[in-house]
Amino acid sequence: MDKQFSDDRRFADLMRAVQAGDGRAYAALLTEITPRLRQFVHGQRRFLRIEDIEDLVQDVLLSLHAVRATYDPQRPFMPWLLSIARNRLADGARRYARQGAHERQVENLPVTFAEETTNMEAEVYGDPDALKQAIRELPRAQRQAIEMLKLREMSLKEAAAASGTNVGALKVSIHRAIGTLRKALKG
Amino acid sequence: MDTDQLIQRLAETSGPVSRLSPPSARTTMWFALAIPYVALVVIVMSPRTDLVAKLSDAGFVIEQLAALTTGIAAAMAAFASIVPGFDRRFVLLPVLPFAVWLGSLSLGCIQTWLRFGPDGLSLQPDWFCFPAIVLVGMVPAIAMALMLRRGAPLTPHLTTMLGGLAATGLGDFGLRLFHPQDASIMVLVWQMATVFVLTAVAGWAGGFIMNWRSLTADIRSRIAVR
Repeated sequence: MDKQFSDDRRFADLMRAVQAGDGRAYAALLTEITPRLRQFVHGQRRFLRIEDIEDLVQDVLLSLHAVRATYDPQRPFMPWLLSIARNRLADGARRYARQGAHERQVENLPVTFAEETTNMEAEVYGDPDALKQAIRELPRAQRQAIEMLKLREMSLKEAAAASGTNVGALKVSIHRAIGTLRKALKG
Repeated sequence: MDTDQLIQRLAETSGPVSRLSPPSARTTMWFALAIPYVALVVIVMSPRTDLVAKLSDAGFVIEQLAALTTGIAAAMAAFASIVPGFDRRFVLLPVLPFAVWLGSLSLGCIQTWLRFGPDGLSLQPDWFCFPAIVLVGMVPAIAMALMLRRGAPLTPHLTTMLGGLAATGLGDFGLRLFHPQDASIMVLVWQMATVFVLTAVAGWAGGFIMNWRSLTADIRSRIAVR
């Protein structure tokens, strides 16, 4: 009990230093709380794989970073942190349920050339050289979005991190790029 | 990026932040910002001619105090709801003043019914209420949204709904200082309906005004480009 209390006070002091801009205190704090967060996430979501737990822990760390101004060093640290962690876990579960509702399980995907529908799609698609040329002629941001999201199949988050832009801007770029390509290939 | 790298990048890129004041202090700040604007609108629209006389009408004073208290309590609850670890029961703060507000209007309707019968409860169109409450509540609502965005989006819809109730409560308080409409049934139907609609719209917009996705995506892109 005493150890918990003294740990909490130490975290509160580190957090005070973090709010003042002390990077070293920040690294120390995050390094100390990460194993506790891992344990917490694992306790709440026992069925998750290690990499999924790590993703959730990273989400909590990023969230902590985003709202570190809301911490009041007069109040205990762990309830503040666990409130964020619980909220992010619930948020993740809601997102997972929403994605699940839009996904359809398909047993036999028509991916071979023997399937008529796949061949039709391929024929309608037209000339791959023309497509390559049309992609080359796109404005830089749109071309980058097509390359990362469609050709390299990166997620929006990964592409945003790699290109230094944000998810919203990427969505706009990809939407415009597809419109431009559609026009170019029809014409 | 693995977790150790993430910690390193966060520590390298973090700067000082100005700590958020407690919810009570932020409520005071919001109120101090909102009330001069409400007063300005009342002056521009010109206060009702019977305002001084109305101040001795107990029903009017109770309704106005209840609207004002609802606005303040809802603001306090909204600011508490964006602080992780804060007691969640704070969100119930506006329930009592809101119940008094609704109750006093309902009581007025019952008294009118007893005195004049069903004829006393006739409804006339009063579309002025909607734009007027929007006008009076606009600046308080914008200030509220900006202040809420500095907090944690723990319950975005509930938080913005409370923020909307705070702004519309203040909006209705201001409206009744220049709009001479006191028939309880009219206030209940037109003004309360406006408060309900605007509060619901604010609640619906919660996910757009504040969400974790945009907060963390910004940080991800910032630490990736450095």
